[in-house]
Amino acid sequence: MENLKTLVDSLYLLKPEIAISCVLVLVIIMDLIMDKNKTFLPYVALTGFIITAFLVVEQYFFKTSITQNLQKLLVIDAVGAFFKLIVILASCLIVYFSLISKEVKEAFDRHGEYYALICGMVIGMFFMISSADLIMIYLSLELVSLSSYVLAGFTKNSLRNSEASLKYFVFGAMSSGIMLFGISIIFGLTGTTNLLAVKSVMAAGGNSLTFLFASILIFAGIGYKISAAPFHFWTPDVYEGAPITITAYLSIASKAAGFALLIRFITLGYVQQIDASGAWQLVAGSIDWKKFFTVISILTMTLGNFAALWQDNIKRMLAYSSIAHAGYLLLGVVVLTNQGLSAVILYFIVYAIMNLGAFLVVMLIANKIGSEEIDDYKGLGYATPFLGVCMAIFLISLTGLPPTAGFIGKLYLFTALIEAKMIPLAVIAIINSVVSLYYYIRVLKHMFLTRPQNEDLVINTSFAEYVIVLVLAVPVILFGIYFTPIVNLAKNSVALFLQ
Amino acid sequence: MITEFGKIFAFFTTAILFVIIVYIVSKIIRPARPTYEKLTTYECGENPQGSPWVKFNIRFYVIALIFLIFDVEVVLLLPWAMVYKEYGLLGFSIGAIFLILLGLGMAYEWRKGDLEWARPKPVPPVLKKTNLTKIELLPVEENVTP
Repeated sequence: MENLKTLVDSLYLLKPEIAISCVLVLVIIMDLIMDKNKTFLPYVALTGFIITAFLVVEQYFFKTSITQNLQKLLVIDAVGAFFKLIVILASCLIVYFSLISKEVKEAFDRHGEYYALICGMVIGMFFMISSADLIMIYLSLELVSLSSYVLAGFTKNSLRNSEASLKYFVFGAMSSGIMLFGISIIFGLTGTTNLLAVKSVMAAGGNSLTFLFASILIFAGIGYKISAAPFHFWTPDVYEGAPITITAYLSIASKAAGFALLIRFITLGYVQQIDASGAWQLVAGSIDWKKFFTVISILTMTLGNFAALWQDNIKRMLAYSSIAHAGYLLLGVVVLTNQGLSAVILYFIVYAIMNLGAFLVVMLIANKIGSEEIDDYKGLGYATPFLGVCMAIFLISLTGLPPTAGFIGKLYLFTALIEAKMIPLAVIAIINSVVSLYYYIRVLKHMFLTRPQNEDLVINTSFAEYVIVLVLAVPVILFGIYFTPIVNLAKNSVALFLQ
Repeated sequence: MITEFGKIFAFFTTAILFVIIVYIVSKIIRPARPTYEKLTTYECGENPQGSPWVKFNIRFYVIALIFLIFDVEVVLLLPWAMVYKEYGLLGFSIGAIFLILLGLGMAYEWRKGDLEWARPKPVPPVLKKTNLTKIELLPVEENVTP
């Protein structure tokens, strides 16, 4: 009786999740009632997402981090709310992208499922971001995965699409199996699935080699979501095969949720306390996450950057580039400090904008010329100067060159590294950025420095496309010059973390 | 000293070893005189008819899936039915929400035509030839031009 009452009383903490569930149900009912007329479904989803975004913003301003309610299953705090905001804003943009994507439009009869599955992914990611319990982590991870397997194979009319879906499924099943194995070992050792309780058992001396092994197994599941190096194999194939809207979505939202989960897992399960300077003190004798992440992040960014050099398909190239960016983002986690965390948050704002922008331009060009090969981009800068210039902005920002937001993001990451006296790692990261310059600029070279194959190819941009490209391109430049607001946002998010 | 898990492990090892040993022993002591009749598939003494690799309709699978959902529903409803009175309206509405969501799933299947046994005409997804896909299988072999 008491339990049920506490649960119902703390339901107000779940407002965004409840709202998005209602949107999901609404989308399905609408789809069923209006069988043939599906044009308004995206608008229903979009309205729902915007309402949810407001609820998430409200959650951001909750003054304390709340772990006591909801049977200690969830943590509601500003960092979580920030990642939820990234997820929900990315979802809004993706729905907008879907409105102008030729690929998605062609599968018109399955639109109901498309938007319903996106809602499903959002619910999963929200719970993933705030979960504090191993079972909760596993369930939410599966919810995200199952929806995204279907979405990756959504258009169905090309072989590579089905291939993407199947590969995603097989790798996903494997890694969630490994993760579940790790969770079962931890449950066997400690008799609990709650991360806070696991930590207290471990601090009381229940630490062992088995525990270390189990932690790494759980990291395998999370590493799969963020496509960190030894678990990245699905990324290029899935990103290439999936519809571009879904590729963009996976590379932002799914990754944001994965990083939030990683940070949650480390801080709740392994960090004893945060000292005055903001450094995270690990539980005595726990796995040395610092060394572990150093190795993983070096592997991830080096592999991502070097593999991207040889890609001829631009989606595949962006897939490897997103692996490399996962490596950079891990640098912020490596230092295990609040400064590192705020650098990760800052980088995520920037990464979301520029990566969505790059995928958007690729999608608009593919809508017109029906190709994603870099060779077919020859002279496109002349056929469509507007898209060409915007692509240049996004790619330069992804490289991390000064007048763009990408530079600010990298700057804060590397500063956090240098403050933590990890200079060799910073040098490796900077060398990696230099390598990445080559493959980003190669696209621009094809677009601007070669003569067009087809001289009279003209690509017209409709008003809706024009607006959305500008909405993404302007902040990239703006935040590169005037970055105080996003830096403050990142600092404020971390201010109340774990206190 | 053997732990509880150790006992299970011993049990499994014994089981596996038993099967292996029986196989080896029978291999050693049995006479081996195979004939054509002995090697054919056993179909109650009749001559084997057709190939065992038959395609069966995927709709069986869909029906099984739908059945599973409603089967689990019963399992979850029983404990709820035992206690919901103590929680009053709240307890009742929790069960009601669950049932409504399941009903929505049922409505979805109905509306999408998954419950109709003879569906009008199945439209298979058409693999189109676009520039987007470099590697593309042609649907039928006759279409391959030499």
